Amino acid sequence: MDAYLVAILTIAGIYIILALALNLQFGLTGLVNFGVVGFFCLGAYASGIATESFHAPFVGGLCVAMVTGAVAGGLLALLSLRLSGDFLAIVTLGFAETIRLIFNNEDWLTGGPKGLLIMTRPVLADYSRSANAWMVLAVVLTGAVLTLALMLRLAGTPYGRVLRAIREDELVPATLGKNVFVYRLQSFVIGSVLMAAAGSLYAHYVQTITPDNFTTPVAILVWMSVIVGGPGNMLGSVIGALVVVTIYEGSRFLTPWLGFLDAEQVSALRFIVIGTVLILVIRFRPEGLLPEPKHTPVVPATRRPALKG
Amino acid sequence: MDLTRRLFLTGTTLAVAAPALLRHGLAQSEPIKVGSLVPLSGGGGPYGPEKAQAHKAVVELVNKQGGVLGRQVVLISENSETNPEAAVRAARKMIDADRVCAILGTWASSVTLGIMPLCQEANVVQIFTGSSDTLPNGDKKRLCYNLQPLNKAWCVALADLAAKRGELKIAFAGPKNDFAASMGESFSKALEKVGGKIVGEPLYYNPNQVSYRAEAERLISSGAPALFLAGYVTDLTPVYRELVRGGYQGKVFALSFAVGPQFKQAVGTAANGILHGSPVPPVGKDTYDAYLNLVGLKPNGQVQNSYGCAAYDEMNLLLLGIASAKSTEGPKIAEHIMKVANGPGERVTTFEQGAKLLAEGKTINYDGASSSADFLPNGMLKSRDFALYEIQGDKDVLLTTTTSEAEQ
Repeated sequence: MDAYLVAILTIAGIYIILALALNLQFGLTGLVNFGVVGFFCLGAYASGIATESFHAPFVGGLCVAMVTGAVAGGLLALLSLRLSGDFLAIVTLGFAETIRLIFNNEDWLTGGPKGLLIMTRPVLADYSRSANAWMVLAVVLTGAVLTLALMLRLAGTPYGRVLRAIREDELVPATLGKNVFVYRLQSFVIGSVLMAAAGSLYAHYVQTITPDNFTTPVAILVWMSVIVGGPGNMLGSVIGALVVVTIYEGSRFLTPWLGFLDAEQVSALRFIVIGTVLILVIRFRPEGLLPEPKHTPVVPATRRPALKG
Repeated sequence: MDLTRRLFLTGTTLAVAAPALLRHGLAQSEPIKVGSLVPLSGGGGPYGPEKAQAHKAVVELVNKQGGVLGRQVVLISENSETNPEAAVRAARKMIDADRVCAILGTWASSVTLGIMPLCQEANVVQIFTGSSDTLPNGDKKRLCYNLQPLNKAWCVALADLAAKRGELKIAFAGPKNDFAASMGESFSKALEKVGGKIVGEPLYYNPNQVSYRAEAERLISSGAPALFLAGYVTDLTPVYRELVRGGYQGKVFALSFAVGPQFKQAVGTAANGILHGSPVPPVGKDTYDAYLNLVGLKPNGQVQNSYGCAAYDEMNLLLLGIASAKSTEGPKIAEHIMKVANGPGERVTTFEQGAKLLAEGKTINYDGASSSADFLPNGMLKSRDFALYEIQGDKDVLLTTTTSEAEQ
């Protein structure tokens, strides 16, 4: 059981990084990126190809993944960031699907549907199976904590304030002389880099990746983490990702009590539970479990009328 | 009472050791846990439920007869969703939380290969049905058994049929997945051996498309007098519809599992004339009938549940392997599965017969419901029956049955 908890925490750590990255793009800046899984996939393959075909160490693969994520994020942003909400959503969704199809068909590079077998792991050699699992967990959690620290820092600075202002009404920061496009571009690229890094961690954790690992349901889970946790609140995304992964994996343990349902119905039940939670949250707590802290401007104390006499 | 260092040390040691001591004491009576990871949704959705049912039926029967080595068998069922990402998470749960000794029933090659690193690391046995020629590559510890012949074997049978029908120029199309990709390669080799040739490049399309008109138009314009469509029922149906709509007149070869009742209902009389083949259970054999009776079906001389009967063999082989190894350790079970499957020894067809003989110290040779269940040294199936059919008047008419030997 403890080994299983380690496995689930590792998966949760990867989802936390993805949710934080999306929270920067959507929660802070208001960019509707449905292509989360595209960058995740890109990072996983970039890292896998770097370590397996070019024998780079794990850290090298991680760097290659982040650079690839930055380049892809930048290019996609230059093409599409002038589009508003819904259109950006469609373009990013298309991007993710395109990446998956390219990787499925370019066998020479990615192994195609056979998948890519990854032998490089972020562990020290010659330890037991459970020690390896703990080491991978430590690496993933370090990544998640670093990402969280970075995001908390970003959200608290004047930079984060500009991003929030763009989300609320981009005309206002533009009037104040901020280059709205550059800010949106930066936010999108930072998010993409983090998603690609999460992909790299995932690839070296599961060790076999095929394009089928990167379908839209993964992006939906990340979106749900952000919505349930509270868009705009970084700690909320962490909670959201933990809640979603707990429901998703925890529902497996209900099987013994659901003897009247067969395995097929239980696996469908999982999505029903998650969907219901989403509806309940949106209906009763639309701001999420941990709402974004209110930023009320400091009102100067009203001047007292001068005393007469 | 003061907490002295000695008391603290003794206390902690006991607390830490307790689970291990308990585990040791319970190990002898603990149930044996077996994982069943079948596709209940996604591309394999039509075939998963019969596999899950067969696993369950064998386990219930064996438990009723007293279990394996006096221990009950607990079946842990999960849905692979025909998706390696979901399957890996399910396999993690089975291996780490339930501590299963084997995972049976994976169907898609991408799923079987996807969970292979986990199973190899944790010494978990895998018994499955899969046809991709790359399956044996990742099995470094020799823990895998496959009850389906690899693509190389089925293509020989299909190419022979094509040659007999005088169709020597055939175009190939299939979904872009591991199964169809290695099917394309093997089929072109097999066809060349009988003097034929593939027309043009093999066409691989992306599954789950909204429309397959472009693919159908390309096949028609290639001018091939015959087509081999290596799709599943979900993509073959729309491709075939578009071919009929486009007025294609040539012969069509397909795989039997794709042109079942669902397909015939969808395309109606247009299905007439399709030639198809696949590995089949030995219809009429006692073992196959025993399987059908166990899951509540009547033997009717037709092929039914061609994956369910393999799942029946998966479970029987595993449990016999455990009974023979007197252990639930993966590598030992895997070693003994080879002994009970290939013999030499007395022929047995159920777990009950086998366990009885093993207890008497005799050797056995399991004869299965899907095939004779004999394996090559790499764990892949030695041979299986193939049947070739033609659809006439909404019915499958049997043309011939052959036994195809796998290449060494």
